[in-house]
Amino acid sequence: MATIGSYTLLAAFVACAYAIAASVAGARRRSLRLVESGVGAFYTVTALMTLASSIILHAFVTEDYTIRYVDRYSDSVQPLFYKLTSYWGGLDGSIMFWVFLLSVFGAIAVKTNREQQRELIPYVVAVIGAVQLFFLFIMIVHKDPFATYLTETPVDGRGLNPLLQNPYMAIHPPSLYTGFVGMTIPFAFGMAALITGFLDDSWLRAVRRWTMFSWLFLSLGLTLGMIWAYEELGWGGFWGWDPVENAGALPWFTATAFLHSVMVQERRSMLRVWNVTLVILTFFLTIFATFMTRSGVVQSVHAFGEDAQLSMLFIVFMAFILIFSFGWVIYRLPLLRARNELESWASREAAFLLNNWILLFAAFFILFATMFPTISEAFTGQRITVGPPFFNTWMVPIGLVLLLLTGIGPLLAWRRSSVSNLVYQFAWPVGLAVATAVGLAAIGFRVWVSGLCFALCAFVLGTISQEFVRGASVRRGATGTDIVTALVGLVMRSRRRYGGYVVHVGIVLMFLGFAGSGYKLEQQVMMNQGDEVELGRFLVRYERVSETDDGQKQMITGHMTIFKDGQAAGELFPARWFFRKHETEPTTEVAMRRSVSEDLYITLATYDLADQSAAFQITVNPLVNWIWFGFTIMALGTGIALLPESSLAFVSAKVPTGAATTSLLLVSLLLGGMGTNVNAQIAVPNGAELTAGQQRLEAELKGELVCVCGSCSHLPLSTCTCAVADDMRLRLNRQVAMGQDRDGVYQHFIDTYGSQEPIGAPIGMFNQLSWLFPMLVGGACLVGVGFVALRWSRRDSEFPESLASVPADEQDQQLEARLDDELRNLD
Amino acid sequence: MPNQGLKILLTTGVFITAFVGLMWTTMQDGTQYYKHVDEVMVDPDQWVGKRLQVHGFASDISWKPSSLDYRFAIENNGYVVHAEYTGIVPDTFQDESEVVVSGRLEGDVLIVEPDGIMAKCPSKYEAKPAIDASAGTESGDADGAGN
Repeated sequence: MATIGSYTLLAAFVACAYAIAASVAGARRRSLRLVESGVGAFYTVTALMTLASSIILHAFVTEDYTIRYVDRYSDSVQPLFYKLTSYWGGLDGSIMFWVFLLSVFGAIAVKTNREQQRELIPYVVAVIGAVQLFFLFIMIVHKDPFATYLTETPVDGRGLNPLLQNPYMAIHPPSLYTGFVGMTIPFAFGMAALITGFLDDSWLRAVRRWTMFSWLFLSLGLTLGMIWAYEELGWGGFWGWDPVENAGALPWFTATAFLHSVMVQERRSMLRVWNVTLVILTFFLTIFATFMTRSGVVQSVHAFGEDAQLSMLFIVFMAFILIFSFGWVIYRLPLLRARNELESWASREAAFLLNNWILLFAAFFILFATMFPTISEAFTGQRITVGPPFFNTWMVPIGLVLLLLTGIGPLLAWRRSSVSNLVYQFAWPVGLAVATAVGLAAIGFRVWVSGLCFALCAFVLGTISQEFVRGASVRRGATGTDIVTALVGLVMRSRRRYGGYVVHVGIVLMFLGFAGSGYKLEQQVMMNQGDEVELGRFLVRYERVSETDDGQKQMITGHMTIFKDGQAAGELFPARWFFRKHETEPTTEVAMRRSVSEDLYITLATYDLADQSAAFQITVNPLVNWIWFGFTIMALGTGIALLPESSLAFVSAKVPTGAATTSLLLVSLLLGGMGTNVNAQIAVPNGAELTAGQQRLEAELKGELVCVCGSCSHLPLSTCTCAVADDMRLRLNRQVAMGQDRDGVYQHFIDTYGSQEPIGAPIGMFNQLSWLFPMLVGGACLVGVGFVALRWSRRDSEFPESLASVPADEQDQQLEARLDDELRNLD
Repeated sequence: MPNQGLKILLTTGVFITAFVGLMWTTMQDGTQYYKHVDEVMVDPDQWVGKRLQVHGFASDISWKPSSLDYRFAIENNGYVVHAEYTGIVPDTFQDESEVVVSGRLEGDVLIVEPDGIMAKCPSKYEAKPAIDASAGTESGDADGAGN
């Protein structure tokens, strides 16, 4: 199989080279046949990469340790889920996964734009093909994922590091890759527009959604990384300005800038050079970030390898990208001249421009600070590092200014805002911000940065709610519907605009979470049995430390009793696990009491089983869960903005009065009903006979206890269908049949599984939701992608004639302009 | 036009000055010298009192019972620096583990800052070294150092 895999990659390389050559030659000679054959070869690369991916997955599943890569990143005891995710667990596989994703995205982009962007397509194929060719070249000459051992075949693999056997860490890389790889598509269309000289705004329309889609996954990847660091690493924080984190954030900033500045080009035909520059920079930064994390050019607490050959390949490729891309930009400057000028600084385009400068500055600041040790060493011979305080000193004010601009932008009119318009738009949000600031000062908030952040959050929420309320009121007046239907109709009619506002709400909620860090409390303490520690509103009492073993790992568990405001608030069980084969790398199993307002977060550091003393880090993290919640709202907003245009405009135009209200009620009833049914579907195999009371207790506990298999995101036993959950249900059934009460069952599970993990958190529903959030978002993203792909694959003829005759963007712009006028008329 | 040019020049100048000034002042507090143990201990007097990040391999870790007080040594290329630390150490901090320790040299002892121990943590892109002979002989470019 390994040989087939290697030859498949070789075939993909040849097909890719042909696709580039045929497309470019076809475009230059105006030969449709050549172009078509180039596109055909391009699709062939997708097919070959799918085959190569299937082969490596098959090797992981069938435990084919003759393949070096399979041996390095999996073993026989690894759950199937982690065997599959080991595909992108190492460098060789992650490069192949990169090319696979790019080939799929490229094929979709070419297929969906083949008719509308006829002139650009050959060069789009060539540019995407060139990027694929580079990564295929690395695999063939340097990092072949199908390389085998020459002599003995290992009997078992070395296994993925236990720290990485975490659902978030399994999904985090593909999310990030999807974001990174997706940014190649806008770059390819931008370069094709530059090469062909077709620099009207049509290429922007082709890439806007791709950028949004990639940006969403980049955000998802970064958020999952934060959650993983928070829940798995046990240091009490979620972002440490480590180079590997910074690398992911760099293209996020430039992509965010592009998503804003593209609106200025569409509405005002300005910033044309700027936009194409941002597209190039974003793509370049995705490659640079990959280079940073794989080449060993920066020192990190993450153990990057140092690979001089790989570094050289990347440096050559990056130099080529910069020279080729900006060479074309300079050559095409006459065609990229703006058609309008900035008329006033009190305009929306000026606010967007300022926002762009700051986002770009943020990206380059992070790049500079991350590379500073390398730069300082090159110039002075001394390696000087900068730590998180340096980053925070700069990024906190940058973040606050961006937050302020998030509120200001939507309040300003295009071209210029009159004084009366400014007063009308700003009065309510500014009043709300001032009231918040005064209120916080009055109740004695002591961290002024966090207080300012809260006030700015109030300001932005004020602007957004004002936009929604005024828009819905205008629509209600015009259509005669109720306010909810008017609101839904408003969002559906102008999805990009209102989806964007929802994204901003998510950003505000995330900032609330960041601001909460200002009130973080932390204590490292050595405790003996019965010792108590008070932190904020919590009192933590240390009971004992126990040792258990489940055959796969040895588990050391601390038993803590929690009191909040003097009331008993349950127990927490921080633990350290020592996996077989990885005894020298124990994992920290954080115990958390999660709530909307704060997390109590405890980790077990050191322990002495003989005298029962143990060291703990106890942290209170205020508002931290708002970060994850904020991301979910942000994803929802992006989903709204990505929704298909014409079809939904058609649907919303036909919605009868009050339909939205009724629909919302029906959906909520349906969701409530579904929850009950799903829980009742799981039965215990060979269960013991139970009394009615015991059956009730068993059913309740099935909803409270969670599966510990590590691959199902801790689903309740009532819903998880894996083998581990079967075993746990059987265990639960026997415990209940033996007459154990709830506490007894809890204790049994803690003793058996070594930590609080099967118990979940004291606030069960919230904890479960927090686990489920990223999964829901991931699911929603996939559905969204499918929906968008379906929409893009449709031809114009499939739409109602009345809608097909008017371009969707024109409809959008007309509607937005009309709405703006109507709102201004209210003044 | 000259006026506009002057304005742009002045504004740019103000921004650059502010940027450089802020960068300089913030860097004074936030920077550390990144050195391997041998680079520091070849002439320790030169580094006394300076903020350092010392890279090496931990050894002789000892722990005062019922406390969070640690003493350990960091070695590299035959040179050793002794360190003292109070607080919780990372999971992977053990004898022979690769560490980067932040602190100041006082005499010949490195006084480690709170949370100043970073033990190299595994990356997605690093393969563990072969455990035993059963791992076999690697073909191709045997880059055992990981990626």
